[in-house]
Amino acid sequence: MWMLSFVPDALLYTVVIGILFTGIALYIISFVTRFIPPLIPYSGIARILGTILTVVGIYFFGSYSTEIEWRARVAELEEQVKVSEAKSKEINIQIQKVYVDRVKVVKQTQIVIQEKIKEVEIKIDSECSKVAPEAVDILNEAAAGVKK
Amino acid sequence: MKKLLLVVILLMMTGCAMFSPTPVKRNFPAVPSELMESCPDLKKTEPTEKLSEVLKVVVDNYGQYHECKIKVDTWVEWYNMQKNIFESVK
Repeated sequence: MWMLSFVPDALLYTVVIGILFTGIALYIISFVTRFIPPLIPYSGIARILGTILTVVGIYFFGSYSTEIEWRARVAELEEQVKVSEAKSKEINIQIQKVYVDRVKVVKQTQIVIQEKIKEVEIKIDSECSKVAPEAVDILNEAAAGVKK
Repeated sequence: MKKLLLVVILLMMTGCAMFSPTPVKRNFPAVPSELMESCPDLKKTEPTEKLSEVLKVVVDNYGQYHECKIKVDTWVEWYNMQKNIFESVK
């Protein structure tokens, strides 16, 4: 049935309405033919055929209405998805730019601080005569964190 | 006639269920590659007696922490924004 989604709306509508009205017409004709003697033998066949076509037509009309409703819903969703995808791309570009800018600020601050250390390096080292190796070990241990 | 009417109504109802909806395919957007890189390990101090050398490493590590914090914050920001956009399609 999914193959019907490839059939154009107009063609589907024409076929469905065609079947439905042919059925109704045949059903009416079957009553008229009862009063025309040469056509009386065909009256019964026309009525059966008319009934079948009317029922099939109504069935397809119901299906057609649902199909059209779904097609409209799908088209609406596809449009929304298109808009959301465009927004997503825009957000990605914005976020990327914000991230790069923030990291740049951190790196620049780092450079400034390292420069400050260099300026007072001699003073720091002269006032603090010696760092105990244990202190370095503890610091490294803390930096290593919990290893798996 | 009543039976025929019943059959017609029944057929109309099954007719509605005849077509299956065409699914609209959607993918959650991919995260910018910068945010996919994991945070580096903290630097370790080489054996030294100079406080300034130790200080340089500590400052470097602070910098790494700040970069990593920015990454996590940006991740959260990105996710929330994309989630809002994704959920806006109904």
